This record gives sequence, C-alpha cells and structure tokens, in this order.
Amino acid sequence: MDMDTMNGVAPIEIAQPREAPRSASERETVFETQGLTVSYGKAPAVSDVDLSIYRNLVTAIIGPSGCGKSTFLRSLNRMNDLVPSATVEGEVLYHGQNIYGDGVDPVEVRRRIGMVFQKPNPFPKSIYDNVAWGLRVLGMKDDLDSRVERALTQAALWDEVKDRLKKSAFSLSGGQQQRVCLARAIAVEPDVVLLDEPASALDPIATSKIEDLMHELKNEYTLVIVTHNMQQAARVADMTAFFTLERTESGGHGVLVEYDETPKIFTQPSDKRTEGYVTGRFG
Amino acid sequence: MAEQMRITFQEELEQVEASLQEEGAYVLRALRAAVNAVEQADAELADEVIAFDDEIDSRYFSIQEGIQSLLARQTPVAVDLRLVLAMLHANLHLERMGDYCVTIAKLTKLVSDVEPDEGLVQAFEEMGQRAEEMIRIALDSFQRRDLEAASSLVDLDELIDRANRRAVERVLDFGSDESKREWGLRMILVSRCLERIGDHAVDIGEQTAFLVTGEFREFTDASHQGGG
Repeated sequence: MDMDTMNGVAPIEIAQPREAPRSASERETVFETQGLTVSYGKAPAVSDVDLSIYRNLVTAIIGPSGCGKSTFLRSLNRMNDLVPSATVEGEVLYHGQNIYGDGVDPVEVRRRIGMVFQKPNPFPKSIYDNVAWGLRVLGMKDDLDSRVERALTQAALWDEVKDRLKKSAFSLSGGQQQRVCLARAIAVEPDVVLLDEPASALDPIATSKIEDLMHELKNEYTLVIVTHNMQQAARVADMTAFFTLERTESGGHGVLVEYDETPKIFTQPSDKRTEGYVTGRFG
Repeated sequence: MAEQMRITFQEELEQVEASLQEEGAYVLRALRAAVNAVEQADAELADEVIAFDDEIDSRYFSIQEGIQSLLARQTPVAVDLRLVLAMLHANLHLERMGDYCVTIAKLTKLVSDVEPDEGLVQAFEEMGQRAEEMIRIALDSFQRRDLEAASSLVDLDELIDRANRRAVERVLDFGSDESKREWGLRMILVSRCLERIGDHAVDIGEQTAFLVTGEFREFTDASHQGGG
C-alpha cells in the first residue's frame, strides 16, 4: 500500500536519515590479524588474536591493565620490533599483505601506519620542524609549507600556532603538544593512525578536543585507539574490542574476549566478562 | 569556552530530536486520516491508518535505541540529561497517540455500515482539529524550548475535554433509537481516544517544562482538581 495516498492527507516531507553505519559486509578491511600471538621472551603477552579492523572507522581496544592491548596495537605497525625480546607469531594482514612477511620494510610500514603515544613526545625543535620532520626524512619536500599547514589544520592546531611556528614545540601546553604529535603523524599522509592512550596525560578539555578531532579524522584515516578510559571508547569508537587477562599457571596472557559495534558492547555485550568490565563489576 | 565541544555527542542528540519531530509528523498524519475515516465511515482508509502505525512504531523503536546508545556511550549530564529523559517520555507519548489513532480506525471499521450522525461528525471534526493543534504546539514548544507555549496546552486540553463531554451527551440523546445505539457507544470511545490524545500532548508539554526549568511537575493533577 502506498502511504502517500492516505485520503486527503498531505504526505509529510521526512528528512533522509544520516548515513547508516555500514553493515559488516560493506566495510573494507584494513587489518586482519590471524592467530596473532606476541611474546616477550617466552611469555606471551597477548595470545591468538583474530581481529579485523575496518577502514574509516574508529576502533577502540579496551581492557584491564596487562591484557595486552598496547602490545596488540604496537604489533600493527611493527613497533614491537624495537623490543629485542619480542617475537610475533601468526599474521598481521594489512590490506591482505602480511606486514611481518619477508622483504617488508618496517620503515615503510610505519609511514603508512602512524602512531601517537600516551605522553606528548615532540622533538626539541620548532613546531614547524616537528611537523616537517617526517616529510623531510621521506623526501616529501615539495610544498613543505602547505603540507605542514594542512597537517596542523587537520590536527585543529593551525589557528593556535600559525603565528609562532618557529617557537619550540615545548612552549605549547600538553594538549597542544599532543596535537603537534598528531599533526606530525598525519603530515606524511598515512593510511592508519594508531593512538596509544593519547589523552591519558591531558586535562578534560584537551581530552575532549582530541576526541572531537578523532571524529573528524576518521573521514580520512582509519584510527585505532587503545584506552583504559572505557567511557572514552564509548564516546569515540565505532567498533570496540575488549581484551582481558587470562590467568594461567605460568602467569597469564591477554586474550580478545569480544569485538563488536560499540553501542552493542556498552548496551548488550555477549560475554559475561565484557559485561563485568563495562559495568565496573569486574572482579 | 566559546568553542563547541563534544561535537559527535551534540550531533547524536540533534539526530534523536529530529527523529522525534518526524515521529510527531507521522502521528499528525495518522490522526488526520483516522478522523477522516470515522467521519466518512471509510473502512479502507481505516485499514490504512492501522497499517501506517508500523511507520510510527519503527520510529519509536529507533528513538528508543538511539537514547539507549546515548545513555550508554555519552554520559549526558545537566541540560543534556534532561533532554534525553524528556525525549524518552515524549517518544512514548507520541507512540501512544499513534495507538489511539489505530483504536479509532478499528472502531470505525466495526460500524462502517452505519450512516454517521451529522452532529457527532462535526464534534469529531472539532476535536480532531483541536488534537492536531495541540500536537503541533507540543512539538513546536518542545523544539523551541518554549515554556509559555507548552503551558498553554492545559487550556486547550480543557476545550477538548468539553467537546468530549458534549459528544457523550449527544450519544445519550439518541435514547432508544436501536439503529444508532451501537454506533453511538463505539463513538463514545472514539471521542475518548481524541480526548486522550490531547492529554498526551499536555504530557509532552510537561516534559518541555522539565527540560527548560529542571523541575518536574504536572500542569494539572487529575486526582487533585484545582489544587495543582
């Protein structure tokens, strides 16, 4: 039956709903980990993780201390290579290619998959040089000024620093320094930005800025954030993965418990352990 | 802080509120069709009204879901919290109005072979128009956070209540006319449905007042007449 024909009643213009969240089948996979286990020495820190991360979404990784969430994140751009005792088993497929495969250059991996850390770590250089640094290293020197401006604009920092680009990055507040680091990460036009507790050292207003920024940046990048602030994951993430620490005789290791759309994780988690964690009843 | 913060959250809030207004627009449409159906003893239109309720219900569910997600993810406080709670209530009131339209349609179908009484048709037309006006005012005043307009719903409700009483008297006047008695009894219920839609519009007005002032109080209290 055609609703628009209801006798003598003018049809009502209904605004089209905003773009609905894309269904799982329509999403483009950026990362797919298969049986990923990362160990430090002989002890696995995180074990047997199968997880897909999708393009232009914010994916949050939450879980208690020691659950391996940072280790997992760092395995996505081979940051664990820098830890001598770290070994990786299983696969991390990035657009279908194993980033731990033979002949893969970790530097190229990290150019495409940038990272922002817990504490703002700008270089002891000017604001401009911090952002231009990666561009110079990678030989992306054409239009340097406009690339720097674009990165700082995307990091919502341009208006605050455009008149003092030559000043030291250390002259900025913590929140601004973190946005310099974000600008530095996105200046080299990566595909993915990994964020490891990016707001845990910031005050609530600076935190809120970073969160708003993530919402903007996901239009262009794929973002993966590790956070121990569960509410932050709830606010910013489209998808949320919950990791926990599985205790064993020899200690324990992190496992992925549940991975789903964020509203589902926070309203109707499938696993009792997830529910225990998000409700704060975790024992 | 002049700068806008928590942009995603604000957008989500606006989205739920826009859906609520849409739901209201659907209810207005169902109400007009239900009143037309009863006035014209049009069983086919009554069927359309009944089917159309699914449209209202689907908006009701999606708003409910949106609010659940907002509460779970965004920890709203202060005016944001009041808005979320007020929308939760208003959503239910609108859905209930839709149900009354369905009841009117069902009653219409039960007696669609009877020629409607002209006097009552006029009464329903008046009540229907008043109910529509009340819904519009309830939706507009909610949207504009207009306490004065929301409060005016109480007076409008008094008019619809009076019309309801007149409709009942009209049916009683049918006396022993067998052919009209069953129809009349059904029509008392139709009248009651229209009157209840008015009550729900007042309830939405109360939610507007809560949203604006932060204090919840009933505009009128049925169990304490005159006492407020």
